[in-house]
Amino acid sequence: MAEAAVIEKEVSADAVGMRVYEIGYHINPNTKEDELEPVVADIRGMIEKQGGKFLAEGAPSLTKLAYTIEVKENGKRVAYDRGYFGWIKFEAPVSAVAPLEAALKTNRDILRSVFFQTVREETRARFKSAPMREVKRGDVIKSAPRNEEVAAPVSEADLEKALEDITSEK
Amino acid sequence: MANILTQNDIRHVDYKDVDLLRQFVNPHGRIMGRKRTGLTAKQQRAVEAAVKRARFMGLLPYIQK
Repeated sequence: MAEAAVIEKEVSADAVGMRVYEIGYHINPNTKEDELEPVVADIRGMIEKQGGKFLAEGAPSLTKLAYTIEVKENGKRVAYDRGYFGWIKFEAPVSAVAPLEAALKTNRDILRSVFFQTVREETRARFKSAPMREVKRGDVIKSAPRNEEVAAPVSEADLEKALEDITSEK
Repeated sequence: MANILTQNDIRHVDYKDVDLLRQFVNPHGRIMGRKRTGLTAKQQRAVEAAVKRARFMGLLPYIQK
């Protein structure tokens, strides 16, 4: 098995040592929608300059963050609760990693970025969120009105009496 | 008993698939153990890496109150 893996790598490496990487980034939410393109083009340009080839890309879209991310801007800490999240998957030589990573970190329009090695195949899962949960929720909803139906016809007249009793007692 | 990943024939776990990753995280945002998830060791490692990446990028919370 180990031998097979080595051979596969050599074939795909093309003697230059090309590997598949993915970067994910959050662009500052204060940038306007039409100003996003130059930022992305800037990243793409850097990858191309390092001899990278693009495999797949996700356009940046405004995403709410699970927690506030603080970034230092002009010596002040600024907290962001949203960002334009986008990603690029590409093939590049190993030597391209360090300069690209450094460039992403120093880019002022980018709040945060990840850089990691991945596989050539599509990694997004076609996943329908668990059906088990939906059934359970449905059960709860069904059982609730049943109780009301039983309770409602009996109580209508009695309720008023009961209420009066309670209020009078007080 | 097959786990979620093998049932849906998911070979790669992507950190961007937040809905999928939420299946492996408890209401507090902690990664569930292998006894709860029923994943193989290899799958569990992939899920862990993906959840941690998603947390770093603010797609999943580190903690949820």
